[in-house]
Amino acid sequence: MSEKLLELKDISVRYGGREILRDISFGIDAGEIAVLIGANGAGKTTLLKTANGGVKPASGEVLLDGKPIIKMRRREIAKRVAVVAQENETKFPVSVEEFVLAGRFAHSSAFGWETEEDELAAVREMKACGLMEFRGRSMNELSGGERQRVVLARALAAETGLLMLDEPTANLDLSHQALMFRLIREKCETRGLGALVITHDLNLAAAFADKIILVGGGRMIALGRPSEVLSAENLQSVYGIDVLIDENPSNGKIRVTTVYN
Amino acid sequence: MRSRYKIAAALFATLAASIVLAIAVGSENLPLFSLDAQQTEILFDIRVPRVLLAAGVGASLAAAGAALQSLLRNPLAEPYLLGVSNGAALGTMMAFVFFSNFEFARPILAFAGAGIATAVVYKMAKSRSGMSVERLVLSGVIVTTFLSSIIVLLTSLLDAAKLRSFTFWLLGDLSQASATGFYYVLAAAVAGTLVLSSQARSLNLLMIGERDAFDFGVEVKRVRLIIFTASSVLVGTAVAASGSVGYVGLIVPHLVRLAFGSDNRLVVPFSAVAGAAFVVLADTTARTLIAPREFPVGAITALIGAPLFIYLLRRAG
Amino acid sequence: MLSGCGSSTEKAAATGRTFTDGLGRTVVLPEHIDRVVSLAPSVTEMIFAAGAGDKLVGVTTYCDYPEAAKQIKKIGDTQTPNIEVIAALRPQAVFVTTASQIQGFMGKLESQNIAVFVTDPKSVKAVEENLRQFGEIFGTQTAANAEADKLSNRFAELNKILQGTTRPRTFVQISKEPLYTAGKDSYLTELISDAGGDSVTKNVPTAFPKLSKETAVAMEPDVIILSASDDNREPNEIFRNSTAVKSGRVYSINADIIARPGPRMAEAAEEMARMLHPEKFADNKQ
Repeated sequence: MSEKLLELKDISVRYGGREILRDISFGIDAGEIAVLIGANGAGKTTLLKTANGGVKPASGEVLLDGKPIIKMRRREIAKRVAVVAQENETKFPVSVEEFVLAGRFAHSSAFGWETEEDELAAVREMKACGLMEFRGRSMNELSGGERQRVVLARALAAETGLLMLDEPTANLDLSHQALMFRLIREKCETRGLGALVITHDLNLAAAFADKIILVGGGRMIALGRPSEVLSAENLQSVYGIDVLIDENPSNGKIRVTTVYN
Repeated sequence: MRSRYKIAAALFATLAASIVLAIAVGSENLPLFSLDAQQTEILFDIRVPRVLLAAGVGASLAAAGAALQSLLRNPLAEPYLLGVSNGAALGTMMAFVFFSNFEFARPILAFAGAGIATAVVYKMAKSRSGMSVERLVLSGVIVTTFLSSIIVLLTSLLDAAKLRSFTFWLLGDLSQASATGFYYVLAAAVAGTLVLSSQARSLNLLMIGERDAFDFGVEVKRVRLIIFTASSVLVGTAVAASGSVGYVGLIVPHLVRLAFGSDNRLVVPFSAVAGAAFVVLADTTARTLIAPREFPVGAITALIGAPLFIYLLRRAG
Repeated sequence: MLSGCGSSTEKAAATGRTFTDGLGRTVVLPEHIDRVVSLAPSVTEMIFAAGAGDKLVGVTTYCDYPEAAKQIKKIGDTQTPNIEVIAALRPQAVFVTTASQIQGFMGKLESQNIAVFVTDPKSVKAVEENLRQFGEIFGTQTAANAEADKLSNRFAELNKILQGTTRPRTFVQISKEPLYTAGKDSYLTELISDAGGDSVTKNVPTAFPKLSKETAVAMEPDVIILSASDDNREPNEIFRNSTAVKSGRVYSINADIIARPGPRMAEAAEEMARMLHPEKFADNKQ
């Protein structure tokens, strides 16, 4: 059995004296898409940051490819995990190509210029995400959906085994939401990547996840396939709402409908 | 790519030409190819050290400005506006008043002042959600005006005779260049620019976001410390030698970015070159326009810098 | 005495005298003056010299000459006088130099019926005339005229002693770093001439210019005179190969007597004459 790309064992995280997360344990294999859901402020982003070394857990262990993350330097971590998060608007003109190339940082020395390998990787990802026509344009000229694709391309250019995505479709319209998720799914399948995705869209989670981690009150409420985790009970206990669970006729996946009284 | 080489060549040529011009002109007419003893003394004891000091100061302030702007993700970050220059000026004043016998007290206390001001502004600007442009500018304004008040307070308390020196410090004055003092400013300029340039790749990522940089492998805390320290050394030595010359760190990196784009591997070192040329030319103007009297060089850089900056702002927005 | 209300100029015109001050302004002063305030050390010295020191009720913190001036109530300094303290002293007039920014407080003083008299003598002759005018203002003509005559005589005497001497090239250093000297508009230029020297910076515009070091070296002074203050104890290092430094002709002079246009200008000129032409002074007091 090969090493899991990511493994969290009994993770607890404290912040400012408060316990944010407690006893979180799960793993992600190559080719697996895990989706992390839970109410806002439940600590999902903190969990993501813990998984890539940004936050130190109060107790527990984080392993990347079987190695403890505390023994790794930043570069090493960056070679294994790439992050897709909300993109900040920069005040400096940066082109799409420069932005994507930045994803190659961990592969290079700290000095000097990009290698041919770096350039090839960047072009490959820009093509994969349909960005070649924008390559020389400044990021500020692109639409929200286009910019998110660039952020994804950058993460892919890092050629890591694991991707972590923090609300990758948050500010996108319907068409771009579906597009992003399809793109992520496709890359994971074709390249055997693992992904940990945070989203608040339960139906998107149901459609794309291989496994779902439901977090509530800082604890793991459920872990398993969408059909197992997305139950009216679980969702009521975490979100405090009534839902109707049935099957989406278009794809056969779980469909969650909020009941508005 | 080719046009970049041309621009780079033009930059170096401009610096070389500025230095030659600066050495050729001054309040005294020196026939460069037939100097007598006294004229040789004037040239090598007074004029050349001053020109080289100007180059060193310009390079230091511009390189520090370029790096700080990228690190703080703010095109308005500049040693002068951030209060770093005033911190260095205050440190220099302390050295002048309390340790006037030690020549090295000035740059050391200037560095300390610059470093403390940087740390304070950074701490003030940082909040839970990160560092917004507004918070940074506000923190910079608060720190710089606070330090200015202390400087003014101290100059009021001091003997009226010392007051003369300090009005010049606050506006930048290259006339106090000694025949050997420019060595350490030039050395600091070269070393500091090299250190900052070495972090250029990390700065490229930091420019986009601290989290982005961290996620993609930058040792953010370490890089930040290196940049702050190197910038403080650069600003400290420049201010200790010549007072607070404003706008160099603001204008020069902007112009360099217009020509080369935002890649710090180009922007940082070329800002140093362009900054050197800028201050050499400004100081040449300051010491020849009303010869044999002199303006403080900071007045010239502000006169050029402020309108230029307004123009740049309008172009951008 | 002036009474309180009504337009000050009209009232005063009825009871006062008009004088033209140093800026050409017409100033109305009461018939009898016995309470005045001085806003500059030079003015304080002039008023004392004119024999009217007893009429001073307020002076600046820097007014330290003569001795008696130190006992008088302090009202702030030349740049920032305390208007309330001045008003509380109820002076009839305030004597200022152009160094005070009078626009700021002139209105306030006039509304209190306090006249403002600007004095700005830029030459020895002007100082003499000023003295005589003060004599008129304070009713101390005898003392003031005597003082003015004495001043005149001292300069005349000095001129006689220095007949036939050549003028050494003289550089006055006001501050070492940055390098400040005395220029065209400073009476120091004239004083040096009276002392038998030739100020090398006599054609440089403004009164106290910051001088380019290149030009300073090229001026090749024979003598350097330092205005004594903490930041001016030695000549600027660019002078190290000059004739002045090489021949040891570097002298220090009390900053006050050359900075304050007033009766002590004669003293300043005499002292500088001794530095420039020691051979002419048999007693060789330096």
